[in-house]
Amino acid sequence: MSTPQHMEIGKISLPFSEAFRIALEDIRRRFVRMVITAASVILAVGFMDALLVLAAVGTIVGGQAASLKPFQLWILFISLLVCVVGIMNSMLIAVAERTREIGTWKCLGALDRHVLLLFLIEAMLIGFAGGIVGWVIGLITAFVYGLQPTIGISEILQALLTPGSIAVPGFSALPSIIAMLVLSMLIAISLSLIGTLYPAYRAAKLNPAEALRYEV
Amino acid sequence: MRYEYTVETEDLAKYYTMGPAIVKALDGIDLRVRRGEYLSVMGPSGSGKTTLFNMIGGLDRPTRGKVYIDEVDIAKLDAYELAWLRCRKIGYIFQTFNLIPVLTAIENVMLPMIFAGVPREQRIKKATELLERVGLGDRLYHKPGELSGGQQQRVAIARALANDPAIILADEPTANLDMKTGLEIIGVMRELNQEKGVTVITATHDLKMIDVSDRIVYLRDGKVERIETRREIAIETEEI
Repeated sequence: MSTPQHMEIGKISLPFSEAFRIALEDIRRRFVRMVITAASVILAVGFMDALLVLAAVGTIVGGQAASLKPFQLWILFISLLVCVVGIMNSMLIAVAERTREIGTWKCLGALDRHVLLLFLIEAMLIGFAGGIVGWVIGLITAFVYGLQPTIGISEILQALLTPGSIAVPGFSALPSIIAMLVLSMLIAISLSLIGTLYPAYRAAKLNPAEALRYEV
Repeated sequence: MRYEYTVETEDLAKYYTMGPAIVKALDGIDLRVRRGEYLSVMGPSGSGKTTLFNMIGGLDRPTRGKVYIDEVDIAKLDAYELAWLRCRKIGYIFQTFNLIPVLTAIENVMLPMIFAGVPREQRIKKATELLERVGLGDRLYHKPGELSGGQQQRVAIARALANDPAIILADEPTANLDMKTGLEIIGVMRELNQEKGVTVITATHDLKMIDVSDRIVYLRDGKVERIETRREIAIETEEI
């Protein structure tokens, strides 16, 4: 049988606004899971910020630019790595849990990139929230540390409000506390995206027939 | 344009390898489904009903043979075209309803229309109409978790019809429902089949489905065992 291509193939689209709304709804519904996922971002960013504040205090007190010591950088690197692994783990579970749902999405017309987009938006939102909360936790930690007699609260405040006491490239004109917020958000969103990339890719590549057959 | 056959399969086969064994889920199915027909595919579990459903629905690639939807060989479509086909030409109904749990009934029905690029106002209007049509006019903003099985299946039917597909594929749509609700769902599907002229293909082992089907295909071990048309069934029943 010859097969003339009668069918007029039209467009398939998922506007960003709709994807964003659905991702937000997903986060709301799976709130506890998302908080746990975000917790690893919060801890990593909080730890980083606390270290940065203490380095900034060193700059103020010592009068010359102090930065993180090599062993601090090393611990920081490890903590960020652990954070990525933690996010990847929870996202893999989230994908497994939602396998059938992803199969349904594909039946309704979703392209691979739409599935990818949904997961990446969720990751960005988690990173965003995690960055802010992590920043707050980092500041609190630094102030608690500042309660000991060797450093004072005033030195910490001064360090936070002085531009350039923490070297964040491109943001040295801002007071350190703001520069740190920017840095925290960037790091948090990147960590979250890096951790989600592979799980999201797996979700996007699922074969719909197998996904629908999947039993949780 | 209208075609006489909405779905055609030619020597359709799907083999799975399970360890050393080859399982022939489908083994040479030739089937022609007329436009507007209500076709039931019956057979015991493991007879290949779901595999056939997946092949016709463009959800999986066959090992051998062809599937034509509106005379287009779907093996020749790329991923984008397949997604479009699933979105616009085919409506799916599942045994487990498969609504998106975080979305309300109306949002679930609107989802295929979002992919199809239907403007928002029109989406809301159409989804409301469809949900009213399946008797859920007062449940528009309920989430699947707040609906009974029968209600969820009605939402699924409305969702399947969202983009005016040529075919509704239903895989055991009544298997998770009680007798009475199952009958209601079958009734709704038959009514919509006649109203909208949409071709319905259901995989089932629900005998209630026989009464409404134009034709019944019996599958056994991945092959068509026999095909009965409505008239033959009527005669058989009279003889009994």
